[in-house]
Amino acid sequence: MLRLVKAESFKLSKKLKSWLGPLLIMVLVLIAFPLSIDISQFDLAKFYFSIIVVSLLMTSFVATEGMFEEDFEDGSLEQEFLIEKDFYKLVLSKIFVYVCLIGIPIAFIGALFSFANGVAIGSFASVFLLLSLSNLLLFNLFAFGNALSINKGAMLGVLSSLPLALPIIILLGTAVRSIQFGDGFVAIITLMTGIGLLMSAIMPLIISAALKTHID
Amino acid sequence: MKLLSAQNITYSINENKLFHNLSFNINSGEGLHIKGGNGSGKSTLLRIILGITSPSKGFVETHAQDLNISYLGHKNAIKNYLTPLENLELLFNDAELKIAFEWLRKFGLFDLQDELTASLSYGQQKKLALIRVLARSSDLIILDEPLVGLDQATADQLTSFLIEKLSEGVSLILTSHINPMIDCRVLDIGANDA
Amino acid sequence: MITAFIHQFSSAKSFVNITEKLYPFFLIVGVSMLILGWTWGLLFAPQDAVQGNSYRIIFLHVPSVIFAELIYFFMAVCALMHLVWRVKLAAYLIKSAAPIGAMITFMGLLSGSIWGIPTWGTWWQWDARITSTLILFIMYLGILTLHGSFSNLEKADRLMSILVVIGVVNIPIIKKSVDWWSTLHQPASISVSGGSSIDPSMLYPLLISVIGLGFTLIALGILSSRSYIFTREKNKKWILEHV
Repeated sequence: MLRLVKAESFKLSKKLKSWLGPLLIMVLVLIAFPLSIDISQFDLAKFYFSIIVVSLLMTSFVATEGMFEEDFEDGSLEQEFLIEKDFYKLVLSKIFVYVCLIGIPIAFIGALFSFANGVAIGSFASVFLLLSLSNLLLFNLFAFGNALSINKGAMLGVLSSLPLALPIIILLGTAVRSIQFGDGFVAIITLMTGIGLLMSAIMPLIISAALKTHID
Repeated sequence: MKLLSAQNITYSINENKLFHNLSFNINSGEGLHIKGGNGSGKSTLLRIILGITSPSKGFVETHAQDLNISYLGHKNAIKNYLTPLENLELLFNDAELKIAFEWLRKFGLFDLQDELTASLSYGQQKKLALIRVLARSSDLIILDEPLVGLDQATADQLTSFLIEKLSEGVSLILTSHINPMIDCRVLDIGANDA
Repeated sequence: MITAFIHQFSSAKSFVNITEKLYPFFLIVGVSMLILGWTWGLLFAPQDAVQGNSYRIIFLHVPSVIFAELIYFFMAVCALMHLVWRVKLAAYLIKSAAPIGAMITFMGLLSGSIWGIPTWGTWWQWDARITSTLILFIMYLGILTLHGSFSNLEKADRLMSILVVIGVVNIPIIKKSVDWWSTLHQPASISVSGGSSIDPSMLYPLLISVIGLGFTLIALGILSSRSYIFTREKNKKWILEHV
């Protein structure tokens, strides 16, 4: 397990495009959005957060794209299968590494921008926590979509995993409202942590089965 | 000692039979050369032996616990955005790395170890990939067309390595369309007649 | 034991043999009930007190959305059978049911939109049930695209089944969360346990159209799965004997 986490984080850190790309997209969208509207007419702080949510969705999709593709293409998946006999540990470590190296920085950027734009939803820490948890959920989900559609392009990935992402987005929206109205935040964070742990345990099983089918 | 046996292996893809009712055994220290025309399913048979692909009918049984298998297929399983050195470090522990370095020297890759693997030629990449098999001790070596893309000198080095391993009691299964200069049993699965 | 039993009764061959005589029955009964239900509903049922004549689209809308979901659940059961017992027929059935499901879901969305103009004054609302039906439609498209993107059809079968099963686990979650998010729809008018809030003179033609559409869809499903089986197993001996 430790071997896999080390190897995956080393590989990801060497692929500048894969981990820096999503972060840059996040920054770009968050900067471009205020520029594209007439700020004097809209109360930016009011709906800036929904832009953060949508960019979260987009960047986590971009970030997980090609998560397993490279290993599938170059035959690493087969070699890994010979060692471990399934892909559970590999998937678990990959998602963990991606969340740590891409998901959490994205959440940090999101929290920073929401803070800078005066989004009145609680403290920096609570927004950061919320976005990190959402990314944990989204990365698990899109990893699944990615495993189904290895090598078959983004359209298939969107079609197969976007419907599944909607409950997470709605959950995130509800969480935001709960912070704004000042109650129920702890409850919803607990709920999201629970879902996150559950998904992190179960999704790798399913993804592992999908990957096995692919190399079969 | 019997290492592995295959019973009545049949494989079909989209209801087209590639081969059917293949049965064979591998003992330790024994070589098996799988022969067949293009598209006859040689690689698929190797993958079935490895347990990666499941056969449509029949089964493969291993008789040793924790059978240690080294495998190299058509895909090199090396990362071309890393250097050869980094690739090897991902694969091996310290003891194995020492042997791997010797092979890097023998293959003339030692001076290239800090270049990007993507900038290496096809033959050099193939040699690098072969080190995965060469530097690890195993009970069974499975190679898919190992001689393709290798220069004569490297092919000779590989052949003598394999002959040495066979004499040490390691088993070998390989596919090749040219006759490897290794003392092997031949299993001809024929051309694809479907 | 169970596996042997399932496999005996779920071979593509016995499916083709059994449905040979069944589908004309479903087709005839289904289409005639549809004609009966729709003529009754469109021409003879009374006007709605509030919505006037525009409510009559329910005779198309309600059956469509009912089967939009039922077909998905049917596919999920098949997907489980395919994953657990490796029943090939189950995968064939999913593959043949999915286009029908997508079509009927689209019909439900379209008829709902048309109905929305006179009743809500807009053809689209981000309402809970519309949204989850739209998501269902995207899921059908995803399943079809996924299956279409593989040349090895056995792999396609298995991955498609995985996606279908994940989807069915997610459907109640989507529904609940979308409900939670916002809702505009009228509460369900007919319920099995309690009395229904719809007049019998409208209810009977509605029920007839639901059953009629169900039978028609079963007939369509049988036809499309038969033709799919013939293409997939065209090299098998029994097909050659059959044709």
